[in-house]
Amino acid sequence: MASFDQYRDRRDNRVNALSDTAFEGRDPDFDAWLGQQLQFSEPYLDNDGFCERVMEQLPAPSRRSERRAVRFQYGAVVAASTIVAWQFPFDRVWMEALQQSISLYSLVGIGVLSSLAAMTGGILAARR
Amino acid sequence: MDLNDEDLIRRIVDDGDQRAYAQLVRRYQSQLRFSLRQLCGGDQGLADDMAQEAFIKAYKALPAFRGDARFSTWLYRIAYNLVMSHKRKKAPDVDQEAVDRARAEESVEEAQQLGMARDLDSAMKELSEAQRQAVHLCMQRGFSHEEAASIMKLPLGTVKSHVNRARAKLQTLLQAWREEVVSG
Repeated sequence: MASFDQYRDRRDNRVNALSDTAFEGRDPDFDAWLGQQLQFSEPYLDNDGFCERVMEQLPAPSRRSERRAVRFQYGAVVAASTIVAWQFPFDRVWMEALQQSISLYSLVGIGVLSSLAAMTGGILAARR
Repeated sequence: MDLNDEDLIRRIVDDGDQRAYAQLVRRYQSQLRFSLRQLCGGDQGLADDMAQEAFIKAYKALPAFRGDARFSTWLYRIAYNLVMSHKRKKAPDVDQEAVDRARAEESVEEAQQLGMARDLDSAMKELSEAQRQAVHLCMQRGFSHEEAASIMKLPLGTVKSHVNRARAKLQTLLQAWREEVVSG
């Protein structure tokens, strides 16, 4: 036992006696080998509910970021509605309605209602 | 699709997207928990508590994260600060039972592992704590000396010196394995 201690002391003294200049004499092969060995001996720790425990304790997202997200959704819906309205052949529908003698008021009413329904659906879908 | 850290952080800060943060937690949980286990002397329960606290603290401080350093460096800095301040407050309170239990569990696996891993483990234990941390951060985690210095809150020269001294020590202790590998 004493001989092992002596050996260890001698070895430690040898290591500690090395100057910094000697330490700077790097051996890139050894570095690469040591890095590989260190990584090889490291196990991957399974999540095992860790992430869920962290997420449960996080504070709720700020109202500001929620409002920002809602504004973004409304903006997207308005942009989509504008494109649809731009492409919709209102003049032909108008002419057709006149030919079929559909009342102007009921036509406007149907248009407004269907627009509202489409926008509500869009908002609900975007929020989901 | 896996987004990089910067994109995930942007989503968290700008949109309050907590799912993006969950991705970051999953990405770094294993590495951070493993590092903290070493730092906590093998107390797995304490290491996991510290890692959890570090992730929560990082989330709260995320709007102030300027992106000067990598997210992983910043997260490690928070975690190391937490462990160090815990150690300062409760120095003698290491759960020895938990440590022994973990070591007993590990020893079963260890028996099946290669001798190299065992000897490497013993060699790492011969290093001082600061040297071990410096080697772990620079050679195992791949942090630069500058990043390790900022995590450990030590001057750059001190970290370099720790790494160099540890490297020399390990080179001596693991010489036999090295020669075996080289000689094939």
